[in-house]
Formats: sequence, C-alpha cells, structure tokens
Amino acid sequence: MPRGIGKIKIRLPRTVHKGQVIAIKTLITHPMETGNRKNKKTKKKIPAFYINDVNAYYGDKLIMHSDWTTAVSANPFMTFYLKADKEAPLKVVWKDIKGGVYQKTVQITPR
Amino acid sequence: MKGNDFSHSRREFLKKTGLASAAILSFSALSSIIPVGGSSGWLGARDAEAAAEKGEDIKEVLKSTFGSRRIKMAKVNMKVPIIAENGAVVPISISSDLPMDKGNYVKKIYIFVDHNPHPLVASTDLTPASGKAAFSLRMKMRKTSPVRAILETSNGTLYGSTKTVKVTIGGCGG
Repeated sequence: MPRGIGKIKIRLPRTVHKGQVIAIKTLITHPMETGNRKNKKTKKKIPAFYINDVNAYYGDKLIMHSDWTTAVSANPFMTFYLKADKEAPLKVVWKDIKGGVYQKTVQITPR
Repeated sequence: MKGNDFSHSRREFLKKTGLASAAILSFSALSSIIPVGGSSGWLGARDAEAAAEKGEDIKEVLKSTFGSRRIKMAKVNMKVPIIAENGAVVPISISSDLPMDKGNYVKKIYIFVDHNPHPLVASTDLTPASGKAAFSLRMKMRKTSPVRAILETSNGTLYGSTKTVKVTIGGCGG
C-alpha cells in the first residue's frame, strides 16, 4: 500500500453548546483511483481504488451514511452536520473497495 | 375484400413493428440500467472500461433511481463554483431548510454530474440526528456539465436544484 493512505483529520467547532447543530469537517488521504487512468510510462491502466462507503456513529447510533463513487475527488473532504445533544464519541469510518477500513473517533462534549 | 385484406395486413404490420420497436426500446433501457443497478459491476475492470467509453445517460440514471416521481425544483440551496479551474477538485455544498423532525426529515441527498462517465457522485443517508439537511464534498468533473442535487424526504417527496459548472482545462485560470 502506498504510504500516507488513511491519514484522517476531523475538525469540530471549538465550543459546542448542548443541542447545537454543528458542522463536522473531515479529511482523509486516499488516491481515489477511478480505474480509467493510465500510467504514462508503462501504458498500463491503474486499477480502480476508491472509498465507496462512509459511516458516522454518534454514541452507538448510525447518524450518517454515504455511498461514494469514483467521482469523489482524491483526498476526500466532506462536511456533514450533527445535533450535539449528548456527550458521546463520534466515530467516522471509511471503507475502500480493496477492504481497507479507516476510522477515527473524536469526543463531543457539549456544555 | 381486397381492401379489407390490405387494411388487415397493414394493421398487422403496424402491430408487429410496434412490438419490435417496443422490444428494442425496452432492451436498450435495460442494458443502460444494468451498469447503474449493479454497482458491483463497476469493480470489474472490463465493465468499467466499457461504461467509461460509452458513458451513462443521465436520463436513464435518474429514471432508474427515482422512477417516474416528479422532482420539485425548490427548497434546495446548492453552492458550486460557476467556473471550476480544476475539474479534479470541484467543491459542492448542499443545504436545505426542510425540517429534520422524527417523522419528517430529509432521508437522502444525491449528487449527479450529467456528463461524467458515471453521473452519480454520491448518495448520502441522513437521520433526524443530523439536525440539518446539509452535506458538502469535493468532486471530479470530466468537462463542463450541469450538476444536480436531489433531496428525498422520508415521505418520498423529491426536491432538486441544478446549476451548470464550467470546467476549464489547462492552467490558464479561466
């Protein structure tokens, strides 16, 4: 596997109030190969390799699921929203077509 | 009698050609739907190659995902650049004021790019816990194309929005 795949950054607002709807910005390093690109030197096709499944769990509840195709940019950046009504961990899981699973958990503590 | 015979055969002829053309239509519809429905088919390199050369028709894709349901062009706010200098990274953000209550919420957000080999970019399932019907992503665009965002609520109503994004190729910076 090429290095640097699956590096994740999740950004939350600095302060979270109880019941507030917050934006969660996520970034993951991944090549997102479409399978249509060719290696210029060898003229061989670069096999498809992309994330096709994203899930977000708040506590143990699934709150967001996304099906991606090859049309999502490399190093996918995604923003989704969440109503912060409890103190619980937020786990985001990415899965790619070669069986790679990447996940990161952040704690959400509303005050 | 002769006249009758003639009209009879003519009627049959019409019937037969009608049937034949219907069969051809349904076949072509099926063959274009198959790569959409079987997403696992995309994984096969040959399938992907064939699909990429042909490209999928946006009308067929919409039909296979939404059937004949009407899409109301309202209540969806889509933010995309008018001109994207780099087709590999086009930011898109979708939001809506539609309620996110328990019985009535936005269930799905679809993003389509008409002139991409596979028009569907992403489909996102939301829950009332999301608090807000909004989502954003960065996507790839092969060339200048209309971009569609379609929202499906839990009671099955569809809302949509379309904007055209111009993709400039080469580093001239539009």
